[in-house]
Amino acid sequence: MPTLVAQNLAFGILMGGLYGLAAVGLSLVFGVTKFLNVAHGELLMLGGYASFWIFTLRGVDPFLSLPAIAVLLVLIGLILYTLLFSRMVKLPEADKIKNTLLVGFGVSLILQNLALLFFTADDRGITTSYAGKAFTLLGVRFPIVRVASLAIALVCLVALHFFLRRTYTGKAIRATVEDWEAATVMGINIQQVYLLAFVISAGMAGMAGALVAVCQSIVPTMGLDWTLIALVVMVLGGLGNILGTFVGGIALGVTHALTNIWPGGEYREIVALLLFLVVLVSRALGLFGSKEG
Amino acid sequence: MITLEGIDAHYKDLQALWNVSLQVGEGELVALVGPNGAGKTTTLKVISGLLKPTAGNVLLDGRSLVKEPAHKIVQMGISQVLEGGRVFTELTVLENLELGAFGAKARKVRAESLKWVYSIFPRLEERQKQRAGTLSGGERQMLAIGRALMARPRLLLLDEPSFGLAPLLVEQIFEMITEINRQGVTILLVEQNVRAALELTDRAYVIENGRIVGQGSGESLLSFESVRTAYLGSAGG
Amino acid sequence: MSGKQIIAIALIIALLVLLALLPMVIKAEYSINLAVLVLLYLGLAASWNILGGYTGQTSLGHAAFFGLGSLTTRLLWLNAGWPFFPSLLAGCGAAVALALLIGWPAFKLRGVYFAIGTLALAQVGNATVANLWPAISSLPAEYLATYQLAPRYYLFLVVAVLTVATAYFLVRSRLGLGMMAVREEEEAAESLGISAFRHKLLALVVSAFFAGLTGGAFAFHFTAYYPQFPFAPTWTFDAMMMAYIGGVGTIVGPIIGALFFVVTRELLVLTLQGVQFVVLGIEVSLEDLHLTVFGLLFILVVLFLPGGFVEAWGKIRPVFERRTKVKEVSLAS
Repeated sequence: MPTLVAQNLAFGILMGGLYGLAAVGLSLVFGVTKFLNVAHGELLMLGGYASFWIFTLRGVDPFLSLPAIAVLLVLIGLILYTLLFSRMVKLPEADKIKNTLLVGFGVSLILQNLALLFFTADDRGITTSYAGKAFTLLGVRFPIVRVASLAIALVCLVALHFFLRRTYTGKAIRATVEDWEAATVMGINIQQVYLLAFVISAGMAGMAGALVAVCQSIVPTMGLDWTLIALVVMVLGGLGNILGTFVGGIALGVTHALTNIWPGGEYREIVALLLFLVVLVSRALGLFGSKEG
Repeated sequence: MITLEGIDAHYKDLQALWNVSLQVGEGELVALVGPNGAGKTTTLKVISGLLKPTAGNVLLDGRSLVKEPAHKIVQMGISQVLEGGRVFTELTVLENLELGAFGAKARKVRAESLKWVYSIFPRLEERQKQRAGTLSGGERQMLAIGRALMARPRLLLLDEPSFGLAPLLVEQIFEMITEINRQGVTILLVEQNVRAALELTDRAYVIENGRIVGQGSGESLLSFESVRTAYLGSAGG
Repeated sequence: MSGKQIIAIALIIALLVLLALLPMVIKAEYSINLAVLVLLYLGLAASWNILGGYTGQTSLGHAAFFGLGSLTTRLLWLNAGWPFFPSLLAGCGAAVALALLIGWPAFKLRGVYFAIGTLALAQVGNATVANLWPAISSLPAEYLATYQLAPRYYLFLVVAVLTVATAYFLVRSRLGLGMMAVREEEEAAESLGISAFRHKLLALVVSAFFAGLTGGAFAFHFTAYYPQFPFAPTWTFDAMMMAYIGGVGTIVGPIIGALFFVVTRELLVLTLQGVQFVVLGIEVSLEDLHLTVFGLLFILVVLFLPGGFVEAWGKIRPVFERRTKVKEVSLAS
């Protein structure tokens, strides 16, 4: 029994890093632009498929193709932002939030439908030659693909954290998050900041997707599930708090792990969403520190 | 140097400014005074580009600014200090100042600009590593002004720099403003504290309910009944 | 009453009569099923529109009420052996109860958080039902033997007409005025003494009631389905898209949207059937493209024509359609 718990927890923590990576892009975009990109999960899905096809057709190891995936998703993010979201930046706050929500939802629908058309509804996964290998510590199995994924997620999050803290551009982004009018009167081009946040977010989502393809499996309809995961982690970890998002991801991973033990894996989504709702409403009621929204 | 001609401005469907015209010449220190909600901040926002006018023109040395995005207007030499300062509380004093020199031109001379700002506001140098959120009200105002100066503006728009500050601090801030103007920066100052503003400036415009109702030098404005009764009665703003 | 109004009422009565006579004239099951589908979507879109269009609260959890109504009706009718109509009413009751239960916490969430909160809630419902009732719910043999399409059609017709009629009268009432005031400027409405919370809750309850009613009709119509199916998010999303494309916040908008959606889908499937081409070595068959087309249209509407078809019509012939704007009506009373 203790080994079962320990094993589940280990898996939970390992996946948690991935959850954090999946969420950090959404958190960044939401903090900077105040849009909630509900197509985030579909961007992750595209990253997963890109990695899958590069692996299947060209034999490139999914960990090695990560930079390419990131670049690809950055480009897709660039196109989406320029064509669609940039048009809504000038709108008054309430309209901006609603319209970006709706447009994001339209985009997710289109991407999901196209993915179904081109990739079929079958589950796909990347199985590398070393897929089954694991090392064992204190009776708990640690599959190396998952450990590697956690490591990569951590590296990306730390890199993003330093980018935002230490670089000039990063500080400009943080300034925009805090007060966009003040940022504008200092000559900061808000459109460019928004674009940057959006494409970074897309790149991160894509990389997360590639890692999901290796660790689990991908399917064209996975977008909504992962958007919800990202939302839960974002709310748990606190907006705009990069390291907090990582912790939030781990927290969700652990929640999933514990739910696996009881009441059972089928309830994972339910427990996570209920936790999400409780935190969301508590925050809105001011029970939890700063009010959201 | 900067001219507003017949400016109308709206917030959604609500009109805020009617046919506002004013001028500020190179090197001048001009005030825009008026009661709360008269449209002072709105006028500044029209100049800096944060709000686009629905009618009229804004001319900088004869060149129209109305079509330019706000961040470009900064690069043309106009910096605004927003009401309340609005410093970035999460960043340090130094980071705030560095962000002030965002434009390419300003970035090149950033080190010198920093020295200049520190010479006017030595308190900021002392606190440069501190998070801006830990500063007192007066220090934040200084930081906000210093930050705007980092862009080496030709025209500085100051929105109520004395707001919420103790009288002693207000005097200090006003001294610094005079010094900045003396060093060659044109200033348009918006103030509710009419007495102080009139003492400080060469001339002033009076705005009420979104319309310019008069202009003149300090003393001549006292002839305005509204200026006299409404504002001079409340000592110290 | 003006001449125009008399003509309008006469036209509506004529239309209703035509719709009532439809199953007697058209015997093809395929066609009646299409009509049923239009009415089903209309019920969903019109009910969503009450909360989302008129009150401006974008709910992404509409399927929760649709699903709950459907589940309750189905369980009581087939499993507990209740007669159908009480089951239907119970389904509506369940949906209303859920709305009342979540109303207060839900409306504490502002803007985007309300949307994702309602989405999360619907997903909880979806997953829970999937776990508790994983088996397909099938109509028992004796019901199948006596299954007739016409009664289903009439049920959906009544539900759709009730939904649209309620929306119509609600909008023209003082309550409707309050709802729209909340949509336009919530703070201003509050300062006028309009309780934003009460109006939002009312809109939510009415919206839930009709979604639940439509769900009950769904339970009556479909012979076999997984109980979680009506909880699926696509029902919310499709209803929302239809309302927007037709004209959100209008009476006819959902009607146009539902018609357009079903007709376009059928047309696309029919014309593109068998059309396949090979892209990058992958065989793609176009007939499943309708959602992509819809998604694109939806985005275009949101970006460029927020009033949907109704706005487009209004620009061409500003005669009949009137989007009731609060600003044009005096709030003083």
